[in-house]
Amino acid sequence: MTGDKIDISVTVNGRRYRRAVEPRRLLADFLRYDLRLTGTHVGCAHGVCGACTVSIDGRTARSCLTFAVQVDGAELETVEGLAPDAELSAIQAAFHRNHALQCGFCTPGFLMAARQLLAETLTPTEEEVRTALSGNLCRCTGYVNIVRAVMSAAEDLRANREASHV
Amino acid sequence: MSDPRPVFRHIGRPVPRQEDDRLLRGYGAYVDDLPEPPGTLYLGCVRSPVAHARILSIDLAEALQMPGVVAGYTAADLTPSIRTMEPDRPKPGYKATFRDVMPTDRVRYVGDTVAVLLAEDPYLLEDALETVFVDYEALPVVVSIEDAIAEGAAAVHDDIEGNIPFAGEYKTEGFDAVFASAHLVVKDTFRSARMAGVSLEPRGVMASYDKGKGALTLWSSTQIPHLLQASLGELLDMAESRIRVVAPDVGGGFGIKAHVYPEEVIAAALARRHGGTVKWIGDRQDDFVTSTHARDYRYDVEMALAQDGTILAVRNRLHVNIGAYACFPFGSSAEAGGGAIYLPGAYKFAHYAYATHSVFTNTAPVGVYRGVAAPIAHFAQEGLIDRAAAALGIDKLEMRRKNLVQPEDLPFTNAAGITSDTQSHAACLEQALAAIDYDGFRRDHPRGEIRDGKRYGIGIACITEHTGQGASRYRTRGLHRVPGFEGATVRMTADGRLVAAVSQSTQGQGHLTVFAQIIAEHLGIDPSAISVEEGDTATTPFGSGTFASRAAVVAGGAVFRASEALAAKLKRIAGHHLEVAPEDVELVDGEARVAGSDMTMSFRELAAIAHSLEARPLPDGEEYGLESRAFYDPPNVSIANAVHAAVVSVDVGTGRVAVERYAVAHDCGRMINPMLVAGQVHGGVAQGIGEALMEAVVYDEDGQLLTTQLLDYLLPSTCDIPDITMAHIESETDATLGGFKGAGEGGVIGAVPAVAGAVNDALGETGAFVNQLPLRPETILALLRPVAD
Repeated sequence: MTGDKIDISVTVNGRRYRRAVEPRRLLADFLRYDLRLTGTHVGCAHGVCGACTVSIDGRTARSCLTFAVQVDGAELETVEGLAPDAELSAIQAAFHRNHALQCGFCTPGFLMAARQLLAETLTPTEEEVRTALSGNLCRCTGYVNIVRAVMSAAEDLRANREASHV
Repeated sequence: MSDPRPVFRHIGRPVPRQEDDRLLRGYGAYVDDLPEPPGTLYLGCVRSPVAHARILSIDLAEALQMPGVVAGYTAADLTPSIRTMEPDRPKPGYKATFRDVMPTDRVRYVGDTVAVLLAEDPYLLEDALETVFVDYEALPVVVSIEDAIAEGAAAVHDDIEGNIPFAGEYKTEGFDAVFASAHLVVKDTFRSARMAGVSLEPRGVMASYDKGKGALTLWSSTQIPHLLQASLGELLDMAESRIRVVAPDVGGGFGIKAHVYPEEVIAAALARRHGGTVKWIGDRQDDFVTSTHARDYRYDVEMALAQDGTILAVRNRLHVNIGAYACFPFGSSAEAGGGAIYLPGAYKFAHYAYATHSVFTNTAPVGVYRGVAAPIAHFAQEGLIDRAAAALGIDKLEMRRKNLVQPEDLPFTNAAGITSDTQSHAACLEQALAAIDYDGFRRDHPRGEIRDGKRYGIGIACITEHTGQGASRYRTRGLHRVPGFEGATVRMTADGRLVAAVSQSTQGQGHLTVFAQIIAEHLGIDPSAISVEEGDTATTPFGSGTFASRAAVVAGGAVFRASEALAAKLKRIAGHHLEVAPEDVELVDGEARVAGSDMTMSFRELAAIAHSLEARPLPDGEEYGLESRAFYDPPNVSIANAVHAAVVSVDVGTGRVAVERYAVAHDCGRMINPMLVAGQVHGGVAQGIGEALMEAVVYDEDGQLLTTQLLDYLLPSTCDIPDITMAHIESETDATLGGFKGAGEGGVIGAVPAVAGAVNDALGETGAFVNQLPLRPETILALLRPVAD
């Protein structure tokens, strides 16, 4: 039920926001309606589909299962923060090149999940990619090109890293 | 019309999508992402919790006292101002069907809307919805096909006797004699689960009424903006000129969003009544409860064969559970009619008979979903071929090769009366077998072998896909609310750039990219420089919308024709000023060139002339402006085809089926963009694997829905779908403009019979054959049990 609002301070994509929120306000709704960051989508509101995946202090989380008050003081990243410059990130570019998105509704969640995986390893096996993305549902692509895109992004990032060491 | 261009510059290339950039950056604008005008009211629906009951009373008093609540309406308040939907008009075989967007007297399924609330905040709305009290008097419930057609069954609609609003029959001449003379008849009852389409974006709508203009703008996650506009005009008694429907970014559709829904009509009616904006966003539970369900067929099929394995005749008795109401605009017959004619498919038997029926029950309405009845038609057909092969001692592949429509049979009219000029079954079969390494599989997996607790099987399905259906086809099928044609406008702006508006709406298929490729082909400009718009009735020509694998064929044809006419005009203007015949002008790299010379005019110059923005005049008799509009109605239907090959493992301990490898050889005529065709096939295959192995909407015997969340309704994940190998064949057809056929549904149509066939193969010498989907572990274990015992 309704309750008194609580002040929170949160950094999203590098920008600090202070807002007063009801304790029951979901993080997904806070991002989408209070901050107008509508790239994070809600596909099920039960933590099953993964479309609402965001990064909280460097770890992916379901914003539909998190209350806004829980992220007071945290650093968040959403899909809108992945390509701050004109260039798409390596993962986004690989999704484009490999036709790894169709309707695009689930895509922000996949990008966040893929980013987490590639932050941990740049040499994932196909099976590791599939496991890392198994908490995200897509109804359009059959996952074939998503898996290929993440493998391709890992390769690009490896090549970049090697190039930067030369 | 034959195509004048033997060599293509843009059609046929795997052009990455122009749709992607904004979607990848999180700048997509799905209906719930759109900015809400100040004062927006949120619409909440009170749904019936019972499957069949008389409404005795509705008490909104407490809800109206709740914080944030602005208004509440019962069906008795609203329904008199909204016309009744009439999906079907009466004609032989079809009974008239009706649906009130809010029923006043009785509810017919769990999910019927009996009252609505408007509130200033979605959270407060949810609080208030909890307090509405409705008193019901229960009525007898029918849930299954068998319940509904039983003697003395309760009527879902009083005027529909036997709960059958549509029935059709067909029999080729001489069928009975041929059937009676057969060496062997194999038969079975094949059942699909009831399914849900589950677009990741649930349905949603926002309606704004401008009191000054008396005009309504409605943003909806719809696949059919123009048909929705027409329906709103009819149901709300408004001029279409006062209604604008916009489909913004839509997060998947698969047919589910190709229907007009009560929430769209209610939101529009309340926006008009309140003179402002009303928004309804469904959650996943709303989606499972109220979005159209799919499938729920019972096919009783008999196949008659000669001793050598030649199929002589097939008899198909089909029932479709269409739920409580006929869907709108397709009506009661879309599934039952389709299921009847899809069955001959890739095979050339001469005799066919069907009796098909749509059946009302107290469940959610069933509508069109990717593949419609075709996956189960092919599941039945391929399943019977497997049974016949076993009974006759003939190799399964040999059976198929013997009965497939061959190149020398073309053009071919099948036993259901469907004609096609091109089909490439034999070529697709050989390519699919090579891609899956059929012989290698047979070598590595001796029959009956159990390796590491698993049996392995390989399945082959030869399928057809009815694509790009035109006006004549929909008239024949009795779908009087489905136009069949599409329209396109291609325009050069005064600065020499190209824009197009197409009658379709997109849910991720990549329309903007492929239509730009077609325009680029004619206008000689890079597709990335062409802006294509869809989904807005205010700016796009009238058309049917996106469903039934029609965009590439039908809208593609309209784009093709409009582009041709615009290119011809540019050539005439350039020819006039360059003093050559128009046919000596070619359009390349954004300019008009005289072939074999260095004489050129840029598009910017030509556009300036055509818009009277410079000194040089237009040739005599030429109209100002550079805008070309075309409508295209394709031939009856264009038959695409494919062969799917699946390798599965069946865990004999747990009964779990896993798809290990997958290959498709696919023929949709000339491909506009092979990368996007592959994407369509991949997605369809995944949905087919879900249909074959896991997905099921479940009602209990009281009509209570037991699967209302993604926790209950299992969708395939990354771990359930293997990589898919694709081979493309492009049969040349001149039956459609550009030689295009549709590609949206073949994936799911092929995957269901291929996976089921692979399971049959894995069951091998047990003699068991599957006949009911999904093939969950308990079903598989029951089939294996006789062997274990």
